[in-house]
Amino acid sequence: MTSTTDLAQTIEQPDADSAAGPSMTRLLRPHLRSFVAVALLQVIGALAGLAPLLAVVELGRTLLSPGPIDHTHVWTVVTAGAAGLLVRLLFTAASAGIGHLLDSRVQLTFRRQLAASLGHVPLGWFSRRRTGELAKVVNEDVSAVHPFIAHAPGELVAAFVVPLVSLIYLFTVDWRLTLITLIPVVLAIALVPLLMLPARTREQEAYDAAMGRIASSVVEFVQGISVVKAFGGGERAHRAFLTAADDFVSIFSRWVRGMSAVAAGMQLALSPPFVLLVVLIGGSALIASGGLAPADLLPFLLLGLGLTAPVAALGHGFDDLQSAGRAVGRIKDVLAVPPLPEPAHPRPPQGHRVELRDVRFAYDADHEVLRGIDLVLEPGTVTAVVGPSGSGKSTLVQLLPRFFDPTHGSVLLGGVDLREIGSRELYRRVSFVLQDVRLLHASVADNIALAMPQAGRDDVVRAARLAGIHDRVLRLPRGYDTVLGEETKLSGGEAQRISIARALLADAPILVLDEATSFADPQTEQAIRRALATLSGDRTIVVIAHRLETVADADTVVVLEDGAIVERGRPTDLLERGGRLAAFWRSRQSAEIETHGGVLRGDEPR
Amino acid sequence: MIRMLLRVLGDEYAWAMRRTVILMTVTAVVEGLSYALLVPVLRALLGSTPADAVPWLVAFGAAVALYAVLRYISDLSGMRVGTTMLRGMYHRLGEHLARLPLGWYNAGRIGEVSVLAGRGLLQAMGVAAHLLAPFISALVTPLTIVAVMTAFNWRMGLAALLAAPVVAAIQARTARATAAADAERHERDQEAGGRVIEFLRDQPLLRAAGRTGERFQLLDDSLLDVQRASRRTVLATLPSAVGLTLTVQAIFTALLVLGAHLALGGNIGAAEILAILVLAARCADPLLSLSDIGGKLRGARSELARLEAVLRTEPLREPREPIQPAHHGLEFDAVTFRHGQRTVFDEMSLTVPEGQRLAVVGPSGAGKSTLLQLLARFYDVDAGAVRVGGVDVRAISTEGLMARIAIVFQDVYLFDGTIEENVRLGRPDADVAEVRAAATAARLDEVIERLPAGWETNVGEGGTLLSGGERQRVSIARALLKNAPIVMLDEVTSALDPMNEAAVHEGIEHLMAGRTVVMVAHRMRTVQRADRIAFLDGGRIVEEGSHADLLDHGGRYADFWNLSMAPAARE
Ligand SMILES: Nc1ncnc2c1ncn2[C@@H]1O[C@H](COP(=O)(O)OP(=O)(O)OP(=O)(O)O)[C@@H](O)[C@H]1O
Ligand SMILES: Nc1ncnc2c1ncn2[C@@H]1O[C@H](COP(=O)(O)OP(=O)(O)OP(=O)(O)O)[C@@H](O)[C@H]1O
Ligand SMILES: [Mg+2]
Ligand SMILES: [Mg+2]
Repeated sequence: MTSTTDLAQTIEQPDADSAAGPSMTRLLRPHLRSFVAVALLQVIGALAGLAPLLAVVELGRTLLSPGPIDHTHVWTVVTAGAAGLLVRLLFTAASAGIGHLLDSRVQLTFRRQLAASLGHVPLGWFSRRRTGELAKVVNEDVSAVHPFIAHAPGELVAAFVVPLVSLIYLFTVDWRLTLITLIPVVLAIALVPLLMLPARTREQEAYDAAMGRIASSVVEFVQGISVVKAFGGGERAHRAFLTAADDFVSIFSRWVRGMSAVAAGMQLALSPPFVLLVVLIGGSALIASGGLAPADLLPFLLLGLGLTAPVAALGHGFDDLQSAGRAVGRIKDVLAVPPLPEPAHPRPPQGHRVELRDVRFAYDADHEVLRGIDLVLEPGTVTAVVGPSGSGKSTLVQLLPRFFDPTHGSVLLGGVDLREIGSRELYRRVSFVLQDVRLLHASVADNIALAMPQAGRDDVVRAARLAGIHDRVLRLPRGYDTVLGEETKLSGGEAQRISIARALLADAPILVLDEATSFADPQTEQAIRRALATLSGDRTIVVIAHRLETVADADTVVVLEDGAIVERGRPTDLLERGGRLAAFWRSRQSAEIETHGGVLRGDEPR
Repeated sequence: MIRMLLRVLGDEYAWAMRRTVILMTVTAVVEGLSYALLVPVLRALLGSTPADAVPWLVAFGAAVALYAVLRYISDLSGMRVGTTMLRGMYHRLGEHLARLPLGWYNAGRIGEVSVLAGRGLLQAMGVAAHLLAPFISALVTPLTIVAVMTAFNWRMGLAALLAAPVVAAIQARTARATAAADAERHERDQEAGGRVIEFLRDQPLLRAAGRTGERFQLLDDSLLDVQRASRRTVLATLPSAVGLTLTVQAIFTALLVLGAHLALGGNIGAAEILAILVLAARCADPLLSLSDIGGKLRGARSELARLEAVLRTEPLREPREPIQPAHHGLEFDAVTFRHGQRTVFDEMSLTVPEGQRLAVVGPSGAGKSTLLQLLARFYDVDAGAVRVGGVDVRAISTEGLMARIAIVFQDVYLFDGTIEENVRLGRPDADVAEVRAAATAARLDEVIERLPAGWETNVGEGGTLLSGGERQRVSIARALLKNAPIVMLDEVTSALDPMNEAAVHEGIEHLMAGRTVVMVAHRMRTVQRADRIAFLDGGRIVEEGSHADLLDHGGRYADFWNLSMAPAARE
């Protein structure tokens, strides 16, 4: 009982501001009963484990006592010892079993909670973190909590209760020898603070940090393997990994060296030979002086070791416990990240007109990427956003699914500020093809149906046809059930078309395409453009494109330069007016005319 | 186990490892033997002449001191061997991974490699540092004690010895019973590891799809699987752990009964029997800890097995006597190449004379990127040959081949770090002027000027802190800086606006004059600048020639060209 609250407190300690996010205690509370059961079973089992030792003691007393030996008494003692063993066996096994099962459940709870809270933190938070390190929190760090859950409740309690009971018993036998028996324990405990010196703590933190660096460099290593190979000439490209590993190992060995003397001292103090030596020296002195009956030495030899065993077990698991504590700290840090605020009273948007009002945005405070954007996207129109690379096009459209909130101004959907729309509602209304195409390690069908998991196969196929990828999918080893990244990989253009199919299937009233056809060949590009044109009339569509052929079809073109809109209007008007868009146009046409008169050919009807 | 460890490690660590094992064994034997001295001590103390105990006690003290020294030395030796091996293994793993063929890296590998490099290696190497000493002492000390017991009373000794085969049998059974559960557990761990990474990396995608509001099914399923698998492991280990405890306790009970019987029969002195029972109690604890240590050892062992499996995966075979290519022309000679069942190239032939610029055009999925990957020997062909400078790429050393090729990939990947670090990856010893020239050619100078941190701008993992076009320009600069005679460009300006695109191509042409260039592009404007154009479709080159020739020919290429010019002409 005590231990569970202890545990909860230890876990709570690392920082006090647990107001944000669900606290560990709350996560653990549903399991309280199991914790108590684990502790109780362990205590009963451990106490029963004293019985056989006491049986030997009693046997000794009987055998060494002068006079005739009481046979029945001897056999009763032996039976009691055996029974104690059996009880211990059953109870400790049950305790360990329950403890470990509990552990797997608690780990699941933790991981789910971490996933839930990571799914709600602002996206900007991720860009400052490394995937590998974060993944380590969810995987390894949660696993590292294991000793807290599976071992600490039972063993910690046993480690206190059993010596306490033995001590009381030993005191009734002989208090002087009890004190002597305690010498090794005291020695060992005296060394504990040395394991927690600031230098040690620093080393442990460095150790954890180095492990985190390994985790993140491995992720980069595998993901960037092509670059590693092409630019690796003599291990340069994966140097990050090797450096991280070297760092880790040297910190590790420094730490081990720092610890080894203390740890060795501790282990020696607790080792059975040393304990026996102390007890025997004390015992023989007392016996020689006549202060102790020889038979009374036995309980000390047998139980004395029992006194130190739990401390030894603790000492052995001390590193584990400490690293578990630090892991819990990291888990808590992640859980404590405030989520992107959800509106308390979500308002339903009226229609799907999108309006940006004097929107400003900066990823870093010192560098504004959007500088006062006013823009209306009318339902039933296609708006093309063009502009030089780095001008903020992707940033602008990423405000629509609320990947980021503007630092100034507001984005309205159907007359309602995005911040007042529930995220579920918002995602239903906006579908998005990202500039960076990403496919999940899942079947083609699941990839296409990502936003609509309940969609039927027919719908998936229809979307795939529209996106011009259906034929290719049919030629995959298992068609729509082929697992991407495992059974096959796709080419850049094929992957892009899958992600277009994904957005088309989602069938949201607002559709954003961020350079969705940059890898498409001219034929595919045209097919997709036609498919988009056939989408029902009421949609609000935004496209970012560098190919002017795509832009020419739009109702409105917005030219973005350095985070501000420098030109907007119908494409034909803008071209006539001879402004920025026309300059873009010219730079490319001149290139064509200069060469082989392609434009003339292009003029011919096909 | 040790043998496996040594096999994975190679010979350089064998000696240190053996020495450590021997040291540990000696320590355990000394511990066991020191207990032998308990018998005379107790005999004296429990008997009528307690004073006789003193010399034995002194001897016991000396034995304990010896034990302490030995233990310290062997622990230290274990640690030292452990850390050296750890360092060695990280390097071996890193170098091996870099040499594995690209085909090995499928979507599941990220989880596998993460687990391996994170906890796996540590666990496998932890054998020497943490597990070996307790394991050896848990085995050897009880055996020594039993030997001592036998010397004092053969009946009790024999009874205790009965435990040995049973314990061994149980250990073997445990290993078998848990192997399946362990393996499954590990597989689930890897899967979940991969899923977690995917979940984190693809947050924008998942958010846009509204998949983070509720539980993301793919991730949640894998987390549930981990829980189920670990429950199965617990249930699989429990019976053997109970069995081991039961055996040890049964033997202890048997000794208790036998001792009582012998004592009651007056066959043996009371002091002796008590001393032996104290020894028996000393045996029990280490034996009981065996199930715990055994479990950890099995875990380490399977990590080691997985490490070995990865290290045994054949890397791309290196030629025994590498040949230096004489020039920098390229040639595909009747190349057939398959990705699984999909035939990407079917007896495809193509040559690029040294110094020429070839553009490869074709429908999406035709195999353009694959063509470049074959040149860089990321995969080996199934039939035919890919030659660089007249030499089959399989006969050129990887280093030699990579030194000749600069490549810009279709999917750009940058490493977490500054822009400068990423560009310099192309050639770390390049001087400032060269770096600047590459940046200017790639139009990266414009980016550097615009971003507040300039060259020091952090690009983020994969380059995600930059815009698509900025990232692409960093990767172009990286390749240009490499200054290799063969340049391969895969859709390198796909994310660039027309003005930047034109500028980048001019820059590349200027800086790469005289090199052999193979470029893949969908934007026809880019293509027409090449000396020659090859149209790839259906696994073969279907058209080849200059822009003008191909337009005149009026085939597939002309179709592509007209299609992409149509809207422009319409205005
Ligand atoms: N996550 C981020 N953190 C910090 N800065 C960023 C981030 N994403 C983009 N930027 C910066 O913001 C600016 C605008 O980027 P954005 O992606 O919106 O450009 P873009 O117009 O889409 O360009 P491109 O055509 O190259 O894709 C760039 O200078 C880029 O470096
Ligand atoms: N690992 C793989 N396993 C199976 N098929 C693959 C694999 N990698 C690529 N493919 C297939 O091989 C074909 C050629 O791919 P490649 O990437 O070379 O096409 P590409 O011509 O570059 O296309 P894009 O213009 O779309 O980039 C594609 O159909 C692709 O799906
Ligand atoms: Mg962009
Ligand atoms: Mg490609």
